[in-house]
Amino acid sequence: MRLFFSAMLERHIDLLFTDDAGGESPAATRDRLKGLFPPGSTRRMTTLGLLVGAGLSRVDPGEDDALVYASGYAESCALEGFLGSFPTPSPTLFQTSIHPSAVQQSLIGRQRPIREFLPMSGSSLLAFHAVRASLLMAAPRCVLCGGEERGTWLLEHGLASGRTFAFAAALTRERTGAAIGTLGISRDGGGGALGLAPFFDLLRERKAFDGMVAPGWRLRLKWN
Amino acid sequence: MAETPAPIRIAACGCVTPFGDAQASHAALIRGECALRRVPVLGNDGGDPVPLALMPGRPLDETAPPGWLSSVKGLAERLPPGAWGSPGRPVFVTGSNFGVGGLYALGRTGNAAFASWGALPTCTEQLRLALGWGPDVAILSHACVSAHLGLLEATRAIEAGAADEALVLSFDFLSPFVAGGFHSLKILNSEFPAPYRERASGAIGLGDGAAFAVLARGRGDWTLEGQGVYNEMHHFTSNRADGSGFARCLEAAAGAADGRRVWFKGHGTGTLDAGRLEVAEASRAFPGSPITGWKGSLGHTLGSCGLVELAIAIESVRSGIAPGTIGGPGEPMGPSVALDNFGTRGFDGVVCASNAFGGAHAAFLLCHA
Amino acid sequence: MAPASPMPDPLTASLKQLIVDTLRLEDTSAADIPDDEPLVGGGLSLDSIDALELVVRLEREFGIKIASSEEARQALASVAALTTYVRERGDPSRLPS
Repeated sequence: MRLFFSAMLERHIDLLFTDDAGGESPAATRDRLKGLFPPGSTRRMTTLGLLVGAGLSRVDPGEDDALVYASGYAESCALEGFLGSFPTPSPTLFQTSIHPSAVQQSLIGRQRPIREFLPMSGSSLLAFHAVRASLLMAAPRCVLCGGEERGTWLLEHGLASGRTFAFAAALTRERTGAAIGTLGISRDGGGGALGLAPFFDLLRERKAFDGMVAPGWRLRLKWN
Repeated sequence: MAETPAPIRIAACGCVTPFGDAQASHAALIRGECALRRVPVLGNDGGDPVPLALMPGRPLDETAPPGWLSSVKGLAERLPPGAWGSPGRPVFVTGSNFGVGGLYALGRTGNAAFASWGALPTCTEQLRLALGWGPDVAILSHACVSAHLGLLEATRAIEAGAADEALVLSFDFLSPFVAGGFHSLKILNSEFPAPYRERASGAIGLGDGAAFAVLARGRGDWTLEGQGVYNEMHHFTSNRADGSGFARCLEAAAGAADGRRVWFKGHGTGTLDAGRLEVAEASRAFPGSPITGWKGSLGHTLGSCGLVELAIAIESVRSGIAPGTIGGPGEPMGPSVALDNFGTRGFDGVVCASNAFGGAHAAFLLCHA
Repeated sequence: MAPASPMPDPLTASLKQLIVDTLRLEDTSAADIPDDEPLVGGGLSLDSIDALELVVRLEREFGIKIASSEEARQALASVAALTTYVRERGDPSRLPS
């Protein structure tokens, strides 16, 4: 039996954080952000962990919020480091390289439990999949966050991101006085794709969007 | 009057382990067999011997294309036919390590042939193309609770009308990357695992595994109820000492099981602290329910464990007998730990639970519809 | 954190520097690390992953073999305990004279 689905799934954007590290070195990113974290807690954090953690500190997910985290290549530098540590593999780098380490680095550092946490990966449809997951959450407030960190030798093989960036958005079912926009998806004909970096650019530039982001799916991003 | 939608059920489910499919795996566990063998932790590069359960004929070191691809393709042949990955029929691929074996091989050899399977998105894209799926293939990766999350997302998508039916495919295959990593944590060592048993030090085994489940409305014999998740965010490799993370996760399944007689298929890897907490909280949430775990034989199949063990739990209910907790010697951590096989006919369902790094927990109640 | 004890033992001094270097303790010098306080869960805020990272480094530096996480916990109970452990089990040719 085929169900007919015509409704739009939509939430309000209540808070938004974006950080495009550009060509900044990892050391410079660490210097810039470490003050946001408890003293001594950043020594094991990655660049991606610092950026995502900075965003999470702004949108502040609570225990009953849902959290969706999207990263295509996740902890590229920790992966490179872990691979380089063989034949005596580093337990720290092993642990840090496992998705979804970037979120865990900051929430564990702050001892902030969260009931529902959904880490995702992907490529050309990653933004759509993460948005769909966020909009399907039962929790009234869902934090959608994500990012990438630039790799080195993995990038040369097409196995890492060439950009370093992160975002975190608090999405609410009910509109609050602070709402700055809306994000929704609906079934539609035609095809399309939306990767994480282009989605990040839309958020960072507060750019409106109305288009196909996956075969059969349209995304609407509006700013108040 | 609005038509009430048919309930969501598991329309199809299967797995593959070193023992074979779900039926063969179940039968081997009933016989008390152990799939774990001592293998050098770094494969061709040697190292300490550690207990691993590899697919027959598959070496620990990766090949290009991956040696595990044939296992996943064989599993996929059992999928109900259909345009998976097309609009209305999403796929949720879940796992933890994906193609990192290829990444390790790339790093060691510089051979670019390993690259295309090395990262999460590239590995999944290669798999999508190999299996002829459409583009709607989402990747969920949260270590050992990945499969549970796939089932939850698939359920939600169908409930919301965003999917007509959904496929969850879960796989995790070992490599020196993975074995070396767990060995560095000192929990994968020369000892064989003894889940839910007291001993001087803990030890795990690791295993290859893959599984699938198709969820759809009104088709199939099995329901998932009380799907619960919880993330302690206390420490990467340990849980809150009060067991609250386990307890919070089990609330939903306990609510669904209220008034019903259930057995408990736990996570039970062979580590000590987590095993004690799990037994204590499962005993509290489901008093009198026998607790069993199969990683002492299959090894921990990591990102696929939730779905591999679901398939075996289904066989246990179907056949009327569940395997007891297989593993090395030691006193059980609690009176509810089932060391021997036991009959399942008198039970209304089974609670299946998994736990992961970062204090992540997931559980659900599986019942015959 | 309690004041550091004097460092008469070159192995103890070497181990303290190893701890600082391996764990990238930016705001701590070797001289700050007490001999007898717990390494894990003490004033340095080290945890079990730090302990395991130290184990890897110790195994490489001194040729010792720590078999399990429980054995690691005992070896790393304090700097003093670690000094004793390394002196008893380490390759003598790799110990500082």
